[in-house]
Amino acid sequence: MKCLLVFGLIVAVFGAFVGYGYLLFTDFTRPLPKPEFNDNTYWGTGDGDNYIADEEIYEFKLQVPSEDIEDLRKQLNRTLRLTEPLDGIAFEYGFNTYALQQFADYWRDKYLTVWDEREEYLNSLKQFTTEIQGLNIHFIHEHAKEEAKARKHVYPLLLLHGWPGSVREFYDFIPMLGKDQNVSDYAFDVVAPSLVGFGFSDAATRPGFNAAEMATVMRNLMLRLGYKEFFVQGGDWGSIIGSNLATLYPENVLGYHSNMCVLHTPLAFLKGIYASYFPEKVLPSRFFIDHHFPLWEKYEGLLKESGYFHIQATKPDTIGAALTSSPVALATYILEKFQTCAGPGLAQDFGAITTVYGLEAVLDNLMIYYLSNSATTAARFYAENVSKEYRALQLDRVQSPVPMGCARFRNDLPAAFDWQLRDKFPNLKHSMYFQQGGHFAAMEMPSMLYNDFTTFVRKLALHGETF
Amino acid sequence: MAGVGSTLVRISVAGIAILFFVGYKNYRDLSAPGKRPDLDTEAYWGPGDKALYKENKAILPFDISVDPAIITDLKGQLSRPLKLQEPLEGVGFQYGFNSKELRNVVKYWRDTYLNKWSEREEYLKKFEHFQTEIQGLKMHFIHAKPTKTTGKKVLPLLLMHGWPGTVREFYDFIPLLTTPNDKSDYVFEVIAPSLPGYGWSQGSSKTGLGVAQVSVIMRNLMLRLGFQKYVIQGGDWGSLIGSNLASLFPENVLAYHSNMCSNNSPMGSIQLILASIFPSYFLDSQHAHFYKGAGDLFAHILEEMGYAHIQATKPDTVGSALVDNPVGLAAYIIEKFSTWTNPAFRNLEDGGLTKRFTYDQLLDNIMIYYVTNSITTSMRLYSESMNKSQLGLNVDSVPIQAKAGCAHFLHELAHTSDKQLANKFPNLIHTTHYTDGGHFPAFELPETLYADFTAFIKKAALV
Repeated sequence: MKCLLVFGLIVAVFGAFVGYGYLLFTDFTRPLPKPEFNDNTYWGTGDGDNYIADEEIYEFKLQVPSEDIEDLRKQLNRTLRLTEPLDGIAFEYGFNTYALQQFADYWRDKYLTVWDEREEYLNSLKQFTTEIQGLNIHFIHEHAKEEAKARKHVYPLLLLHGWPGSVREFYDFIPMLGKDQNVSDYAFDVVAPSLVGFGFSDAATRPGFNAAEMATVMRNLMLRLGYKEFFVQGGDWGSIIGSNLATLYPENVLGYHSNMCVLHTPLAFLKGIYASYFPEKVLPSRFFIDHHFPLWEKYEGLLKESGYFHIQATKPDTIGAALTSSPVALATYILEKFQTCAGPGLAQDFGAITTVYGLEAVLDNLMIYYLSNSATTAARFYAENVSKEYRALQLDRVQSPVPMGCARFRNDLPAAFDWQLRDKFPNLKHSMYFQQGGHFAAMEMPSMLYNDFTTFVRKLALHGETF
Repeated sequence: MAGVGSTLVRISVAGIAILFFVGYKNYRDLSAPGKRPDLDTEAYWGPGDKALYKENKAILPFDISVDPAIITDLKGQLSRPLKLQEPLEGVGFQYGFNSKELRNVVKYWRDTYLNKWSEREEYLKKFEHFQTEIQGLKMHFIHAKPTKTTGKKVLPLLLMHGWPGTVREFYDFIPLLTTPNDKSDYVFEVIAPSLPGYGWSQGSSKTGLGVAQVSVIMRNLMLRLGFQKYVIQGGDWGSLIGSNLASLFPENVLAYHSNMCSNNSPMGSIQLILASIFPSYFLDSQHAHFYKGAGDLFAHILEEMGYAHIQATKPDTVGSALVDNPVGLAAYIIEKFSTWTNPAFRNLEDGGLTKRFTYDQLLDNIMIYYVTNSITTSMRLYSESMNKSQLGLNVDSVPIQAKAGCAHFLHELAHTSDKQLANKFPNLIHTTHYTDGGHFPAFELPETLYADFTAFIKKAALV
């Protein structure tokens, strides 16, 4: 009798333990409902009580006073006491100072000498500004070409950049999207904004402007331009903002395509651990395994490359002060990312940046940060997105019905696999692995990104396409 | 939301409990003293081939005078219009160095400090500076002899700074050590070097100069100067270099005193986790509030260690960003003198900078980095010390035989309790707690540090 009681007690305790564990598990992994979110917060200066939005759309042209270029040239002409790299070291300890001096020299002697050409090139895509929620937003707006409009289905597309990128990343990509071609039945009216706090867009003047607010401003921008339903494409922060847009405003998003499909949820983490032991069970091909695994190696790689993230997420104004006080400081900090993102094969190569992106493109991008003086406000975005308030939204755990497409380029940050992505995007329509390319896909291989994006759009069968 | 938080805590506790049982199994292995690694005491760190190197053993007086051209260029840079971003509304130092305060610092630096630079330079020369070549590197040090020794016992003292400090931290501390007074039976002959790659000490040309290897250089420096046995005092990297020295060369170290005692051996980490679960067993109630649990510590590390993360991985990038960039250098370095003196200063628009320091003090320290252009090499100490091979040496598990003393100043970044220090400091004879002071006590509260240090020396009864 006593034995039975004790046995029963043990079973009860064990059962309670298991039950409790199950409750904990579901608590952590179940999808969450869409949070309430104010889609009209005022972000301008002052309290905005009497704020009436100026809804005009103004043309924008980059016109840098020649004194500013001259001043930059002078700053680049200083003799800097850069420290020699350690013996036998290329870029393992950060951006190589010999390379940095060469870049500074090129920037001063070659690039700035033809600045008028570069400025003309940067103005070659039509640009505008308009005020959204108190912030002046700069954006490229390129309609599909007339010939394309005649023959193709035309849709609006919101293109979102990240850090340390800018709209410059899309200068080869946008023309492909708008032209009359034989690859796809679709052409796009492209809107490519500078993110708030980046490039020629205003920055928020009080804390709290995180990736959910960013998604809201971008969605409101599209509404301002008359686009109620549109596609979204992005990498880096652009991907995260796009994901938030698809989550908070699914009614506005026809399809969401990302070239950095990351997903950080407890369930994704657990699935990742399981998949690291049984990758063949989870991935459709063994060629995809080293995109995700070994996990430990990927984490180590991230740890090695995320010092900038850590400092920007905690002390953005400190590092911002350094980056805004010296063009060479800005150069070394940003160029390091282009160098590393050239991939492990080229990361120590002195010709990597020229080979993978081209010097002009990288310097154009650098000039945007320099001329807009946005290094500090761009860094602050990191701090806003690690804040308690933003993490409390747990947007990665909120499902979105929006059709999704994921392109994974070989040398980019490790992305989520389909089994993880479907937790958030059950309507995952397109998933691709590339054995080449990296983080700045639109810059490195715009035609591949274009093919992948248009393939995704076709798969939505918006016009009765069959496969 | 609260539910998720508390369940997270519950899971962490469960996880920690599992760790505990696993750890207990290996307790015996982990608590045993580690093997003293054999380091090359003649490793060559200079440029070029070691085979072609002939060490110049001369100890030469060193002139720290600054080339006037550097001062002129500096003034020019500081005169440029500042392009700093206005701080966010209502923010003090929570996002880093507040640009309003940075403007004040820059203005003072340019209009006041640099106009009296020759005064400041004279002040920096108030101690005797020397240089000698150790293992290929020209090592700079201050050598301060006791002013009078009658009736006092003399002990040699190796005094080491850290990052982003310099020997300047010790300018009010050294006179207390070298001047006989009725508070102590001892006076000290002080050797205060610039760490390799800092200030007027040459930086390494070779990879691999981590904390342990720096301690070899320091030990060789003391031998060069004729000191076989000495006391060590240090904070920040100075504390780590000192404890490495004491672990590796017990025959040279009489006593070790630190204001940032730490224990990075596996045993130390286990003790930390245990202390988080059973704080009352590990800490006395009076000073329990000094010691953060593992969770709080981790949160604090995340908040304050961005600089360490980037310096440990990309020192050449962030170093280059600060070369000949005085405004950037000021923000990057002086930020630490705010937050590490008192974390509450983060809420202040001026970072509380002048509550404990003068602008002159802070700028003296920055000037040493600036005129010697040592910012990049100073950062490399992080990448050379925070890597697998350095951590693999596991020097912290080699017990320090010398008598040890640990002073805890409340606002220091983190404190390690006596129980957590036990396997590294078996001879810990002095533990004190001060409800004031932060990471730079020699700079901030030299009298208090001096009183604590001499109390420790008295207890140690060395002579």
